[in-house]
Amino acid sequence: MLQKIGALISNNRRFIPLSATVTLFFVAYAVGAVFYEGMRDPQVFLNLFRSYHYMLISAIGMTFVMLTGGIDLSVSGVVALTTVASAALLREGWNPWAVMLVMLVMGMALGAIMGAFITYLKVQPFIATLAGMWVARGLCFFISDDAIAINDRVYRLLGMTKILIPGLADPITKQGDYISILVVVMLVVLAVAIYIAHYTRFGRTVYAIGGNEQSARLMGLPVNRTKMLVYTLSGFCSALAGITYSIYVLSGHGLYAGGFELDVIASVVMGGTMLSGGAGYVFGTLFGVLVNGLIQTLIQFNGQLSSWWTKIVIGVLTLVFIGVQSLLAARKTRQLASKKMMSQAKEVVAPASKPRNRQILLLGGGAIIVIVLAVLAINGAQNVARGSVTNISTPTSAACQLKPFRQDQAASLMKAGAILAYERNGGSNCIDELYSVYPDGRIVGDDGTKKIEKQVTPADVGKLLSDINDKGWFTDEMYDTWHTPCGQCYGYYLTVSYKGQAKTVKAVDGGTDAPANYWQVVSTINGVIPHFP
Amino acid sequence: MTQSKSSLTWRKITESKLFFPFLALGLILLFDLIFVPGFFALTTKGGHLYGNLIDILRNGSCIMLLGIGMTLVIATGGVDLSVGAVMAIAASVAAIMMNPVIIGVKLPPNLMKFINDPNFTYAPLWEVVLVTLIVATICGLWNGLLVAYGRIQAMVATLILMIAGRGIAQLITNGVRIQIFYEPYAFIGNGWLILPFSLYIVAFVFAIAWILTRKTAIGMFIESVGINFRSSFFSGIDEKKIKLIAYAFCGFCAGVAGLVASSNIKTSDSNNIGLYFELDAILAVVIGGTLMAGGRFSLLASIVGALVIQATTTSMYAIGVPANAVIAIKGLVVVFVILLYSEQVRGFVRRITAQKGT
Repeated sequence: MLQKIGALISNNRRFIPLSATVTLFFVAYAVGAVFYEGMRDPQVFLNLFRSYHYMLISAIGMTFVMLTGGIDLSVSGVVALTTVASAALLREGWNPWAVMLVMLVMGMALGAIMGAFITYLKVQPFIATLAGMWVARGLCFFISDDAIAINDRVYRLLGMTKILIPGLADPITKQGDYISILVVVMLVVLAVAIYIAHYTRFGRTVYAIGGNEQSARLMGLPVNRTKMLVYTLSGFCSALAGITYSIYVLSGHGLYAGGFELDVIASVVMGGTMLSGGAGYVFGTLFGVLVNGLIQTLIQFNGQLSSWWTKIVIGVLTLVFIGVQSLLAARKTRQLASKKMMSQAKEVVAPASKPRNRQILLLGGGAIIVIVLAVLAINGAQNVARGSVTNISTPTSAACQLKPFRQDQAASLMKAGAILAYERNGGSNCIDELYSVYPDGRIVGDDGTKKIEKQVTPADVGKLLSDINDKGWFTDEMYDTWHTPCGQCYGYYLTVSYKGQAKTVKAVDGGTDAPANYWQVVSTINGVIPHFP
Repeated sequence: MTQSKSSLTWRKITESKLFFPFLALGLILLFDLIFVPGFFALTTKGGHLYGNLIDILRNGSCIMLLGIGMTLVIATGGVDLSVGAVMAIAASVAAIMMNPVIIGVKLPPNLMKFINDPNFTYAPLWEVVLVTLIVATICGLWNGLLVAYGRIQAMVATLILMIAGRGIAQLITNGVRIQIFYEPYAFIGNGWLILPFSLYIVAFVFAIAWILTRKTAIGMFIESVGINFRSSFFSGIDEKKIKLIAYAFCGFCAGVAGLVASSNIKTSDSNNIGLYFELDAILAVVIGGTLMAGGRFSLLASIVGALVIQATTTSMYAIGVPANAVIAIKGLVVVFVILLYSEQVRGFVRRITAQKGT
């Protein structure tokens, strides 16, 4: 029995990185569901698809590039350029379908140009696509310096239509769990990509080039054409990702998708595709992206961990997956070597396997060190967080404790008809002020001991809300971040309800991790609310 | 006779590693000479030199520092993507050592009142600099371990620290952007001794690298590892150790650059210090003519390459291109340089000149 399992594993060794990712995803999700009740909601799972569709579309193109042994850094630039260019064209009154078509052609053209540099001028993929990223991102700012909102009907329809999931939603009341049209687009792209990669001549050529470009050329495969096509495909995918992203956030700006290429590359690596090319599965990329999204979701649900842990965890996971891959590669070459040696001379085997063992030890040791360091760092961070509450406050001001957010009170205010609940917490005197704004223009502030009121016109309230909405409050660009505020800093807990949507985002000032627009929202609100003397 | 002699020297010049970087720099400065009046004006204020040329040198000092380290790494056939993140880590470490209060370390009350004083620092300056550089060198060693002993592709191995590094930098400062008040520290990036002080730092690091690579055998070893690490191994060179040294030195350079950058803006901004600098540094080396595949390298050419990048940026600002859009021009310069260096184009040019000769 054991032997059978062993044989099964060694026969399907190439599936190990893929199955590791899949297992990791489900285990991590299960652990999350055990700890956080909210994660048991199927909508949270569906939201992974809803929020990261553009990342997967772009990652699929990247998977093909990486299978040939190349890399495409230009994805983030192309995504940003697509959002700005399509927003600008829509503002000029173009037909939305024509805009999409033009964008796809533009993406393919950019990809083809970079492909030509790489294929025919023998430029390193890294350098050529880097130049492509810079040109694309720079062009955004020649089109517009500011964000452009998209008001097109078709775009709105595509972005806002909810596809209810049968069995999880009630079709009559139209309430329940849903996905968006963009998710369907993503799944179609995924299915087509899997077909292309594994069932067409083109796909097999891609794998052959990644395995060994020289031999692929000698076998008479169309290496140059395929490489050109691969970069064109990646440009197409990034342009499509840019379109779905602009539909998702309904605006375009040159600063969108900053550092996006790193997320995409990390997702593809976590999905089990080797960076040296020739091995990997498009299907794995799906789970690479899901793991990436899940990490962010878990950190949001945890609420205690700061947002930068996302980066660290993704870095560590990338390391682990690369370790697994190079171990497998090492074992494969050792097997080949030992088979060869067996037929020739037996005594050579021992010295050949010795460095391999050392390498395995080194990788394993490295992984353990990283994990131990991460655990220590988490503990350290928590201690510092605790320490900063007790220690720092004592010298700056006498016995001042950071108060917890009154989340329940905020929720009950919202239930009682408030359309905005705003709490600010901290500072050198550890104040804790909770404001609520009502549609009729009444604003009530409460600092725990006394209350103040202010009356503004309902139109002011309407303007405040639409301002907040315009700053992207309900998009993915506005996300929770948290760390313990410094002595002079404040924590904010802000719930906004607008046109049937409600969202809560919390953040801390003085930090660098919160979304940039958050501070504009907070300062807008601070200009309207009354202030305690 | 005379013709053949002159063509020989011409050939010597064009085939020199320094020719193309200097040509590119010359073209950009020529552009400035024609289109930007007063670009070359130098003024002295209080015994210090000011002017666009000095600005190029001063603002380019971080890229030059990174370029020195990156040259050695690329010469071994690798690449280090993490230098930008290491800069952020270095800045965070330095800031936290000078002002630990902000993350909740309790100080005795007699020190607390000095915290915003420009003459106060929690740890002495030499300690700050030393610890920061040690941390940065450890980051470089980590990359070197993965690449040399873990046998992981350099681009992948350093990608890990590139992704995680900024997270680590934020972790160190607990996400706070720490202001640096200490005046002597600000001198590192902002001071002037006729010329900007950061230039002397660049010169010092360059001297270390030059002596290490040209007065000892290490330079030769690095080149031999870059050309063929296997045959270097068989000729008795410990190629792993050589790689480790190169990556560690690159981390050290990134640490120095992090000190300069953070003292320049007097803050530790983990999200923005050194953002995209790894790309600038690699580009500087590529413009300097060192092949990405490894092998022969020239430190001076990389410095000139860094100046080419900075001169482009400064000139674009001078003619009024918006700050965010400068990156597109930079991309076009890269394309131009790539074309200049590609074998196909060079072959084409050579064919044309050969036809003229006959």
